[in-house]
Amino acid sequence: MKMFTPRSAPWFFIAPALILLFLFSILPILIALVISFTDMDLAGLADYSGIRFVGLDNYMEILRDASFLKAIGNTIFYVAFGVPFVILLSLSVALLINFGKSRVFEIFRAAFYMPSVTNVVAVAVVWSYLYNPSLGLFNTILNAVGLPDVRWLQDPVTAKISLILLALWRAVGLNMLIFLAAIKGIPKSYYEAAELDGAGSWKQILHITIPLLRFAIFFVSVTTLIGWLQFFEEPFVMTDGGPLEGTMSVALFVYKNGFQFSEFGYAAAGSFILFFAIITLTLLQFRLQRRED
Amino acid sequence: MKRNKRIAFFAGLLALMLILAGCGGSSNGKNGNGGNSGNTSGNTAPSGDKVKISVWAMGDEAKSLPTVAEEFMKEHPNIVVDVQALPWSNAHDKLLTAVASKSGPDVVQMGTTWMAEFASAGALKDLTPYVDQYPEFASDQFYEGAVGTTKFGDKIYGIPWYTETRFLYYRSDLLAEAGYPEAPKTWEELRDAAKKLADRGEGKYGLSIDMNEQSLTFMFARQNGSALLGEDGKPLFNQPEFKEAVEYLKGFFEDGSAPLDLGLDTVQGFAGEGIVPMFISGPWMINAIQSQAPDLEGKWAVAPLPAKKNNMSVLGGSNLAVFEYTKHPEEALAFIQYMSKKETQMKWNELTKSLPSNIAAWEAPLLKEDPKYQAIQEQLRHSEHMPMLVQWEKIAQTYLESFERIVRADADIQAELDAFNAKAEQILSE
Repeated sequence: MKMFTPRSAPWFFIAPALILLFLFSILPILIALVISFTDMDLAGLADYSGIRFVGLDNYMEILRDASFLKAIGNTIFYVAFGVPFVILLSLSVALLINFGKSRVFEIFRAAFYMPSVTNVVAVAVVWSYLYNPSLGLFNTILNAVGLPDVRWLQDPVTAKISLILLALWRAVGLNMLIFLAAIKGIPKSYYEAAELDGAGSWKQILHITIPLLRFAIFFVSVTTLIGWLQFFEEPFVMTDGGPLEGTMSVALFVYKNGFQFSEFGYAAAGSFILFFAIITLTLLQFRLQRRED
Repeated sequence: MKRNKRIAFFAGLLALMLILAGCGGSSNGKNGNGGNSGNTSGNTAPSGDKVKISVWAMGDEAKSLPTVAEEFMKEHPNIVVDVQALPWSNAHDKLLTAVASKSGPDVVQMGTTWMAEFASAGALKDLTPYVDQYPEFASDQFYEGAVGTTKFGDKIYGIPWYTETRFLYYRSDLLAEAGYPEAPKTWEELRDAAKKLADRGEGKYGLSIDMNEQSLTFMFARQNGSALLGEDGKPLFNQPEFKEAVEYLKGFFEDGSAPLDLGLDTVQGFAGEGIVPMFISGPWMINAIQSQAPDLEGKWAVAPLPAKKNNMSVLGGSNLAVFEYTKHPEEALAFIQYMSKKETQMKWNELTKSLPSNIAAWEAPLLKEDPKYQAIQEQLRHSEHMPMLVQWEKIAQTYLESFERIVRADADIQAELDAFNAKAEQILSE
């Protein structure tokens, strides 16, 4: 019984989590790091003795691979437009729903959350029909009001925007919920005081709600940034990276090389470049946040 | 005192890790035992000394396979067949896992395009010594092209199961109106027919060309006399024969004979007023048209591909292979033997409409009396598989990117093909 002293007890409580973290997160990352320095392929998987260490070759080669550079460009595009819009939209939706006093708004809340819990494959089936160039609802509506067809998924730039729209629609719900919870946590007394001082709704949002949501905004921006850097599901189910690699993201590039072409070493190198990009950007965000505090 | 606590803590941590490691280890141990003593592992049915083999099948075939397996088990009461269905889309991942863990099925369905990759990875058992032992496996039983897909290097890694080839589907009524009572027989006729059909009006096309179909251009290049790869194994993708085939295909898009981004699926475009009244595809579309557009019966037909220097098509399909790490190779082979018998192949054709690789099975009335299948059989005699190379998948994917740039971005064909050829050379040298 001496084992459970106040000093050691915490370690016992966190040990299971630590061990799982090590086994399922840190260890695979380390293994991937090792693989990225090898020429491992399918034959290497069956027989480890065939694997050769190739040093930095994979990294040198991937950084000269036009497809990979394109994937990086596309991913920057996704992040640059996706992340700000997710934050803006989910925050606005949360504020609007919070304003509403009627019960209808509870239905709205559920409706906005629904896409987040819907299976992405089902979503893809519906959306690819919406975007369909001949039969799609979007083009039919455009034609009805006299506008020409839009090549939703057939033009490299438009396709990126179409995928961002779809991803926004999927992402708003969850983040809205986080913002709503944070808004509900702001003490009413602040608003009452502001009202006594004659501040209108707009001023209240600007000077009370938003500043006090600082941490929620930070959290959402960190998780969203990480999520969008790993942008994968939407191009995977909708376009498979096309047209002309216009929607290929880094994560999809890694998947294709790893699991379609079985070039595990090459794919691991790609995933490590992505990994470092994510770590760097996230640390940067933390530093900026600290400076503001 | 303090030190004791620390020791206690680490001892506890160690114990926890051991427990976790133990969990992982025990299952490995089981596999190990199975390898040594065969019948004691989970691979065996609990009752008596029955041997259980697991068969991995993909796609729609897997749904019908249990019916046939049922009959196999009647003939072989000591074998229990467990059919596992994998969707094509994640079958490749699943097989990778099986190779990595060295435990998986006993018999596995192998798409012909995967043979080289998995054979070279050592995932499939070398069946060369068995081919002489089982009369059903003799190579003259099968179409030559189908046998070709089972070879990698100078060894045999599979037995042909069912075969596939690409041929022309066309709307006989619309082609007759356009002045083609019979299907186009040459490249020029195909081009001309497609143009005439596209000229029917706005929003009408002639021939569908699938931009994601890996083998399409390679097939046309062969028809134009390209060998794809030279004697020395060097790619010939920037040679005139290949370039002409690309130009020929691009021509369909340029004058609006082929739709780009139509967004209709093949049957939708084919049925009704026939927005796209011709396409090139495999036997699976027969079922699709018959079930999705039954009122079209009598207004469509299939024909062998139009010819340039020849009308060589692409042969595909699936083989049955024995997984390298199986513990029951004899039983696995017995199952494959059963599947390649003429009678089973006939039955399989009845169940799934897939084409028997066994030549004798084509005597089945279902195949013999149907002009569609007669046309397909004609095409099967002029069909060749894609090169059996581990790198082929990557080359074909790389080509699709080039083809997309040629068609969509109007890239210079010769420059694009030169670049593609150089890339292919590099991929082949890896």
